[in-house]
Amino acid sequence: MAILILLAKPSEEVLRVSVFKKKSLTQAETEIIENFSALEKRGRQIIAASKVAMAFFLKHGLPSRKMEDWHYTDLRTQLNRVAPYSSEADGRSVAPLIPDNIVLSTVNGKALSAPLVSPLCGASFTPLDTLTPDRKATLPQRLSAENMIAQLNTAFFHDGWKVDVFEDVSLDKIIEIQNIQNGAQSHVCFPVSAEKNSNVTVIERQIGDDQDSFLSSVSHLDLAEDARVLWIIIRRRGISSTELNQFNARLNKNACLKLYVMNIGLGLLRQEINIDLNGNHADFQLRSINLLSGKSHIDTTMTVRHLARATTSKEIMRNVVTDSACGVFQGAIRVARVAQKVNAQMVCNSLILSENAEFDAKPELEIFADDVTCGHGATVTSIDYDHLFYLMARGIPESQARSMLIKAFVSELVEELNRKEIEDLLQMNVEQWLQMHI
Amino acid sequence: MLEIKNLHTKIAGTGMEILRGLNLTIQNTEIAAVMGPNGSGKSTLSHVIAGRKGYEITAGDILYNGQSILAMDAAERAALGIFLAFQYPMEISGIATMEFLKVAINLQRRARGKSELQVPEFIRRVKEAVEKLEMDMSMLRRPLNVGFSGGEKKRTEILQMMMLEPHCCILDETDSGLDIDALKIVADGINTLRTVDCSFLVITHYQRLLDYIIPDTVHVLYKGKIIKSGDRSLAFYLENNGYSDIISKAV
Amino acid sequence: MPVAPETIRQVREIDVDQYRYGFETKIETEKAPKGLSEDIVRYISRFKEEPEWMLQWRLKAYRRWLNMNEPRWARLRYPKISFQDYYYYAAPKNKDQKGPKSLAEVDSVLLETYEKLGIPLREQEILAGVHQQNEQGRVAVDAVFDSVSIITTFKEELARSNVIFCSISEAIREHPGLVKEYIGSVVPMTDNFYSTLNSAVFTDGSFVYIPKGVRCPMELSTYFRINERNTGQFERTLIIADEGAYVSYLEGCTAPQRDENQLHAAVVELVALKNAEIKYSTVQNWYPGDKEGKGGIYNFVTKRGDCRGENSRISWTQVETGSAITWKYPSCLLRGDYSCGEFYSIAVSNGYQQIDSGTKMIHLGKKTSSRIISKGISSGFSSNTYRGQVTVHRNAANARNFTRCDSLLIGHDCGAHTIPYVEAKNCTAQLEHEATTSRISEDQLFYVMQRGLPEEEAIALIVNGFVKEVIQKLPMEFAVEAQKLIGISLEGSIG
Repeated sequence: MAILILLAKPSEEVLRVSVFKKKSLTQAETEIIENFSALEKRGRQIIAASKVAMAFFLKHGLPSRKMEDWHYTDLRTQLNRVAPYSSEADGRSVAPLIPDNIVLSTVNGKALSAPLVSPLCGASFTPLDTLTPDRKATLPQRLSAENMIAQLNTAFFHDGWKVDVFEDVSLDKIIEIQNIQNGAQSHVCFPVSAEKNSNVTVIERQIGDDQDSFLSSVSHLDLAEDARVLWIIIRRRGISSTELNQFNARLNKNACLKLYVMNIGLGLLRQEINIDLNGNHADFQLRSINLLSGKSHIDTTMTVRHLARATTSKEIMRNVVTDSACGVFQGAIRVARVAQKVNAQMVCNSLILSENAEFDAKPELEIFADDVTCGHGATVTSIDYDHLFYLMARGIPESQARSMLIKAFVSELVEELNRKEIEDLLQMNVEQWLQMHI
Repeated sequence: MLEIKNLHTKIAGTGMEILRGLNLTIQNTEIAAVMGPNGSGKSTLSHVIAGRKGYEITAGDILYNGQSILAMDAAERAALGIFLAFQYPMEISGIATMEFLKVAINLQRRARGKSELQVPEFIRRVKEAVEKLEMDMSMLRRPLNVGFSGGEKKRTEILQMMMLEPHCCILDETDSGLDIDALKIVADGINTLRTVDCSFLVITHYQRLLDYIIPDTVHVLYKGKIIKSGDRSLAFYLENNGYSDIISKAV
Repeated sequence: MPVAPETIRQVREIDVDQYRYGFETKIETEKAPKGLSEDIVRYISRFKEEPEWMLQWRLKAYRRWLNMNEPRWARLRYPKISFQDYYYYAAPKNKDQKGPKSLAEVDSVLLETYEKLGIPLREQEILAGVHQQNEQGRVAVDAVFDSVSIITTFKEELARSNVIFCSISEAIREHPGLVKEYIGSVVPMTDNFYSTLNSAVFTDGSFVYIPKGVRCPMELSTYFRINERNTGQFERTLIIADEGAYVSYLEGCTAPQRDENQLHAAVVELVALKNAEIKYSTVQNWYPGDKEGKGGIYNFVTKRGDCRGENSRISWTQVETGSAITWKYPSCLLRGDYSCGEFYSIAVSNGYQQIDSGTKMIHLGKKTSSRIISKGISSGFSSNTYRGQVTVHRNAANARNFTRCDSLLIGHDCGAHTIPYVEAKNCTAQLEHEATTSRISEDQLFYVMQRGLPEEEAIALIVNGFVKEVIQKLPMEFAVEAQKLIGISLEGSIG
């Protein structure tokens, strides 16, 4: 509590002395603390929850490899500086991926005006900025020592979109969330609830250019009984971006969530996926494609908790790593004692294509129920020469045969979507990447 | 057409020599059968002709129409018209068989200076070959060889062979894993190609394939060398007497 | 091998008291004062008549240890260990401090103890269970009782092949050159909290040196017994296989039933030079604690093998059924090109046991390969974690690994966890990891029971099938023992 009082009158000097007793502050830590104290100076109203979150951050600082959860992504050494806030508040949304989509944009951390949708369409869209501080404070959060993203996002966020899809509504249009960040810094949040027996498709686009940027983006998804959600994250950011992303979902009885993640290019990304299967027969599916090149560092850290009977989950990751990029997958399936009859499968396959590329995988199973079928598999390989030879023996030149095999490796996941228009979008992204990097 | 001269081959990185001075010449439109016991180097021979990496050519040469192909990679050799029907065709998920065929045909046509096949023409040819091989078109929508039975894989190999218009086909134990009906169908497919300008190198363990694909010459491969050559009667002789006395005479 | 009926018979024979080795040997002992300090370290070194360099080595480790923190990353929950409450040296009283020269001089009480444990110290015998008298069946034993080695058998015969097999204390005195060269060269003195503690206070253990080109003529074995109350056992084993040498080494261990927790922190270092091969097998059966989870051994072990030379090979096989807490990761550093590391493990937990065990395969040389097969069986209220790391470094071209971990859960109150770390920094690496967790399939169980086997025996049969792949890797003599042990450990896990 002492810290909170300090924060009410933040003085950088005091903050620095009071908190990091053991280790010295890194440049990035200093900048984050300075940014926070600057928020109030810039006239932003800071809610109590944000102060609590900042107190956590002050106590724990940036995570380092000594923390089991951050073993492969050491922000104390990898995050050298934090891009400053920019005063340019406005920007424009980009054209939707599919013309009919309902576009919800945040640009530079600020929600743009609401889309023109009939209120009768079956869903509501509210910019978070317009919520009262009380309602903002009730946004879900799980603060803990390891959960640095929640700390940072809760401390700094002030805008984003709140989406509610009403009971029994099957939304025929796709909701397209655009989080556009060209340089500078932002922190946004997307609380989404899919009410009972609703059905919705969401595309979350994380877009940015090559300027230095620093952002956190947290999505919270609540699926009520029988709700069905297809959520697709397509990320194309520049090489100097740092993104801390969290996707949290809770699934009630019979709810079903399919999450597709496609990451291309990028600088530093930590993508956390936390799924709680709270209701019986809830089902979670993840398909994730990571195409890494240059000096990208992409860390996907996922926890799926099976907390109810007969819940099922399946996660498939396909990674292609080239140049001196580094990919990380930490996946944990946790099955609680009550969660009998669970079926959970997790697979992570990686192709390493260059000498300096690296991939680290930690697929973890934690199982307390005895009547379960759980498994995981992980492979790290280069392109299978027998496959390559087979294609070449049919007259396909080596470079083309390679890219065909890589495309085949990731396309399998895309094809599972069974939504032609989105499949095409994803395939196009894959092909563009292959053309540039293979 | 194909001339293998004093070929010596090691498995790269090891000292293991597989082919030890192999000589073999195949004329235009000739069907040559190579037979031999296990471990004699049959599969290595097919791999080396088709240009698989992982072998070191320590001496000798392979000429195709008088020109050495050793410096070419597998795709370049395929474009010349060398086709290898694999003993164990690869399963490659994520590539539909049909799509694969189309890409391969057009790339080879381009390399040979021909125009791309238009889709209707392509489909017509596929259908024709599929009917000939008594296959099902729906199979071609499935990923390449994935989940195919042994027989289905071999038929797909022959389908590819018929579509790619090769001039020199190497059949590596194409008869293994085929029942007698399938064998006949596959042999029929192969025989249709005999009518055009195409020669064959048929690598096999058993005589029975040669009942359906009548060879012009038969060669016995043993310890990386051709130790005896003859006509079709040599195959019958092997069928009845085994390899041992030919081997003992040669050694 | 008629293993399954054997297990079933064994299971049937056991009383409620499942731990057969829980008796205590009444023997007068000599102990260092309780607790840990520089003086204790000096006491141990003096008692063992060690050279000055050894003492300095110990002191350096001790000072470093004082500034280290206990690792907490493992999935193990136990109260804080008070290191001052243990005795760091305890030995059966003996007139001659250098220990008995021959079996005739060993205290008969001790001989009885080992007889009761089924460990033959008389050279004509071999491990209980298999009474063959042929050459292959013979095992040379180093028997370690609390802090000291009481006897090493077959020494003369081994000496004829120039194999050195003796206690580490003796090796420090008799073969200082070899010890100095290799000790701490695989597990550095201050590698981790427990190994550093071990470096400071290790008391005894075995030393093996197989000279160039020698195939060790018999199985070597060490049998560890903790008898004294509140005693920590800190043994240190060092095995060196010189170029082209081969040795198979077995390790067994038990302890009396006690209410309090005893501490065991061992270090095992293996060095395999060019073309050498070491097979190291463990059947770990420390006292696991009682039904309520009271007592039992805390087992914190650092085992590491260094495939230092080209084409060398180290293989770890372990059957873990004992201890309240197991923290153990037998590892291989694959330094030499074409070297090969293997890890085969069966870990059975019951009652309130907690196991966090696995391996590390560190690929440094070219064309190195490793193979990991782990079978975990949890029942009762236990927690059983496999934790394994496979790392392929930048220069380890064409490294291969295959890992398979399967877990079996019996009952509703236990946990089975798998935590692999797969790290590839080389594009020619070929790494494959598979894991499954399941319970005994009802169909299987029904099938076996329908053929007339009671449930418990049916389970034993199925479990046997589950672990068979690893059991087969054990030397014959141990395979039967291990099979029995697994049966016993799972006793009472139904219902």
